[in-house]
Order: sequence, then C-alpha cells, then structure tokens
Amino acid sequence: MQRTKLSIENVRKDFAILQRKVHDNKPLVYLDNASTTQKPKQVIDALINYYNNYNANIHRTVYSIGEEATEAYEKTRDKVAKFLNIPMREEIIFVRGTTEGINLVAYAWGRKHIKEGDIIVTTEYEHHSNIVPWQLLVKEKGAKLEYIGVDDNGELILEHLDTYLATGKVKLVTFSLMSNVLGTITDAEKIISKCKEKGVKTLVDAAQAVPHLSVDVEKLGCDFFAFSGHKMLGPTGIGVLWVRRDVLETMDPFHGGGDMIREVHKYEATWNDLPYKFEAGTPNIADVIGFGAAIDYLSELGMDNVRKHEMELTKYTLEKMSQIKGITIYGTRDISKRGGVISFNFHDVHPHDVATIVDGEGIAIRSGHHCAQVLMERLDVAATNRVSFYIYNTKEDVDKLVQSLSKVSELYKL
Amino acid sequence: MSESLYTEIIIDEGKNPQNHGTIENPDISHHDSNPTCGDQITLQMSIKDELIADVKWHRHTEEGKTAEDRNKNCTICMACTSVLTQMIKGKDLDYARNLKKEELLSELGLEYLLKQSPIRIKCALLSLKVLKFGLYSYLAKKLKDSSSLDNLKEEAAHLY
Ligand SMILES: Cc1ncc(COP(=O)(O)O)c(C=O)c1O
Ligand SMILES: [Zn+2]
Repeated sequence: MQRTKLSIENVRKDFAILQRKVHDNKPLVYLDNASTTQKPKQVIDALINYYNNYNANIHRTVYSIGEEATEAYEKTRDKVAKFLNIPMREEIIFVRGTTEGINLVAYAWGRKHIKEGDIIVTTEYEHHSNIVPWQLLVKEKGAKLEYIGVDDNGELILEHLDTYLATGKVKLVTFSLMSNVLGTITDAEKIISKCKEKGVKTLVDAAQAVPHLSVDVEKLGCDFFAFSGHKMLGPTGIGVLWVRRDVLETMDPFHGGGDMIREVHKYEATWNDLPYKFEAGTPNIADVIGFGAAIDYLSELGMDNVRKHEMELTKYTLEKMSQIKGITIYGTRDISKRGGVISFNFHDVHPHDVATIVDGEGIAIRSGHHCAQVLMERLDVAATNRVSFYIYNTKEDVDKLVQSLSKVSELYKL
Repeated sequence: MSESLYTEIIIDEGKNPQNHGTIENPDISHHDSNPTCGDQITLQMSIKDELIADVKWHRHTEEGKTAEDRNKNCTICMACTSVLTQMIKGKDLDYARNLKKEELLSELGLEYLLKQSPIRIKCALLSLKVLKFGLYSYLAKKLKDSSSLDNLKEEAAHLY
C-alpha cells in the first residue's frame, strides 16, 4: 500500500491546524517539529472515537466495550512491532515518552546492575533526558559518567569511545540516533558493534530518529530503545521503551501498583508477565490508540518517502541559508548524514529575539538551548535558533522563513 | 506582538546596555538565570549611607569572562537590565525596595507582556528579580523588621 512519493498537498489537508492564522491573519508556518509534530485528522478521530464509543478500562473488564478497548490498545503494540521490526511484542513497554523510558532503564536496570567504579558513556550531543538520569544514577552508585565528544562537523568522535571501552569498566553506552540540535545521524552500527565485542549494553535514544527515518530495531542490535509518540504525529503522553528480552528479564519493576502484579499478599507480591510487569496502573489508553493511528498514517506514507522529502527540504534550506550574510549554521552539510533539523545563529542577535520577530510573521521556530546545554557549551553559544521539518512542510515555508530574517536585519539595522 | 516589542528604544538599549561590568568588593551581589532561554544576570551594588552608590551587571559568575558575554542575554533582558540599573543608581535602598514591576516595564512600554507573554515576561523581569533577592539578602543581615522583609522575599519569589 506504500506510496512512491509524498503528495504534500494531500497530506496538508489532513492537518486542520495548518489552516490557522496567527498575528493578524498571517498563515501559520510550523517549523518546530523536533519539539512536537502536529496531529492529522486520523489521529484526532481515533481519540474521539475511543471516547465516544468504547471508553473503558483495559485488561480487567469482561464486558464488551472493555474488550474492545483492550483489543485496540494491544493492537498498537503489534503496530509498533511491525513498524520497527521488533520480533517480540512482549518487549514493547508503553511509557509516557522518551524521558520516562530512559528513566525506567536507569531505575529498573541501572540501580540493579551499575556498581561502584563502573562507567556509563553518553555523548556531548544528548538531550538532558539522556544525561540527567545517568547523573543521578552514578551519584547514587559511586560510578562515573563519561562523554563521547563532538567534532567541528557535528559528528561524534568515536576514538573517545575506544578509550573508555579499553578501561574494561564500561557497563552502558547511551546515545541518540539523531541529534535534536545538529540533526547528525549517529553511526549506531559502529558504536553497537564495538560495544557488543566487549559485552557492553547499549541504549538508543530514538526520539528524533523514529519519526524521520526507517528504523529496524532487530538489525540495530542495541539492548534498550526509546522514543516518543508526540514527535511522530501521535498524541502527547505516550511513548515506547523496547528492551531486549533477556535483559528485560533481569530487571526489577519500575512502578508498583495495579496491572503489574500476579498475586498480592500482605507482605509480598509476585509480578505479572512481560510487558505488563512494567505497565503499572491504568495506562494512557486513549493516546496509545491515537498513537496506533499515527503509525498507520506514517506506514501508509512510507518512511523512505518521509526521509526523501525531508532530505530535499534540508538541502534546499542549507543552500538558501548559506547565501544569507551573517548566518552561522551548525553541523554537517552532508545531507546523507543528517536529518531535517537545522540550528543556526543570525549575526549576534539572541535566538529568542530572532524567534519572536519571525513569529510576528507567523513562523514558529524554536530558540534556546533545546535541552542540550552540554552541547551548547561545546559549541560555545548560549542558544541557537532551530528549524525542523516534517511531512507537511514545503519549500515555500523555507522561503518565508528566509524572508522573515530580513525583518530581523531591518529592526537591528544589520 | 513583535512589531511593538522591538521598538527602537529597546533595540538601542539592548545593543548598548548601560552599567555592564563588575564592582570590586560589592556590598550586594546576586545571581540568577532563566532556565528557558539562558539569560543570566549577576547584579552587584555598592551601598554608601543607604544610597546605591554604584551598580553593575554581568552574565557569568566566574571572573574574567565578563568582557565577551554582553550579547548572550536576549535584547529584552538586556534592555530591561540597562534601564533598571539606570533607574536605581544613586537612589536610596527604599526606592529600590519599593520599585514595582509595572514602573520598570512602563519605561520601555512593555506592561502588556504581563498579560500576553508568560515566556518573554521572564526576560523582562529577570533583572528586577535579581535586584529584589539581592536586597533581601543584604537587608536580612541588617534589619529587624521581619514582616517587611518577608514581603520583599514574597514579592521577589512571585514576580512572574
Ligand atoms: C533526542 C531527544 N531525546 C529525548 C527527548 C525527550 O522526549 P520527551 O520530552 O518526549 O520525553 C527529546 C525531545 O525533545 C529529544 O529530542
Ligand atoms: Zn530572554
């Protein structure tokens, strides 16, 4: 059913918000997809349909709408498995998002397996959600956190990893598959094969990768893999943590409560099967169902088409931007090595001011440290502007952005 | 919003903020930042006979990094810091203590941010927040009147 090329015109019709006007009738140009994406009609309809027609708790109800809700909820798990080539559905845990997924690993795996003197390796281009949970863990355990550096091209310096691995103390290497600031696509295969040689576990933060690239989890070969639904057309508050079965089986529960137990007695309890052992309490049923609709939507478009479209836009934007005087673009220019995320600075105007001024033209871009202060320090900037694309963005959007930068020049007399 | 926000006076003040620098052995020195946008301010004052004899601000807490850091705070933050320091320099402590956020904002025509921009209002009021907390720590050591001190702390904590 997969199409051979995206019809942007048709795609745009599914997103009501793209018809919106802001600031006195300026059409909304949404270029902050790395933060969160807009939601198509199909996803919103799935939510409405659930609430209107079969809203019920799952797994514990025997009446018909409860069965329907349980089935729809579980169906999303199968969709995730198929979308990412995950062989076992029991390995898929629904969480709130990438952040919760990584924290679950730090808590339920890390607290059990990390010991004094161990090393956890992360990278300089991580989101805070792949740094802070490890800081908390190593403090508690007397372990150590080390960083793979970033070179001037915005790529990881993998020699650093070799040095750490040579110590024999590394227990986990954790990295994002695509940087949310530079757009760099990490050479995951190389990192994971180096780690496997030494029996070191690997965690992939795929928050920016799954929405934009075709990903095969089994082939990737990592041990932990986390991403968020809201960055791929799905509702907020839903994400996935995948853990390789043999690793998952060594982990203690994360939250205790309903659904995660088999039997509860006064002073002890036994645990439910996987993955339910890790899904305590009434889960986010509606949003899991909405997330299923998002996966259907992307599957039908085809992830290769999504990637192709974004590469085209990225190439166009980099070319257009390099012609602008006073612009500094961060990261590699090789579009085969990067996704549709472009960070830049304009003269020495603070990104918050740039973003507010272009917002006046209806254009939504992100400014700030992007939850990546370690990387900001590495780039020696306080903040950057960031544009990031998705399936509904067009070259016209890019033209409007470029145009709006002249407004900044005008106001600042640059 | 942007049309009215980036007026000539704001851009001029923001590009050439007054009272940037450091004071040696200040009587008051306080630092704070906006986690959302990365603005940082250390505000320093020397006090003589209940008067703010001198006031300076910079970004970093470490020494030796103040020269190049001017443009790393946003224009709104720097314009407001510049105007605030000009307002309080040479005034007595009571004036600074009683200065209302509306008074500072109205100097730059920014009162509407209070209602319209929960995010940018933090840029505009960071310097005032640092001032109020700085005064609080200083006065806490000197004053016995704890209720007016509590008021000052309350106000600083809930400025935005
Ligand atoms: C690379 C990366 N990791 C983690 C996160 C955190 O995702 P969430 O806020 O959905 O938990 C983000 C989102 O901003 C991200 O871009
Ligand atoms: Zn600011």
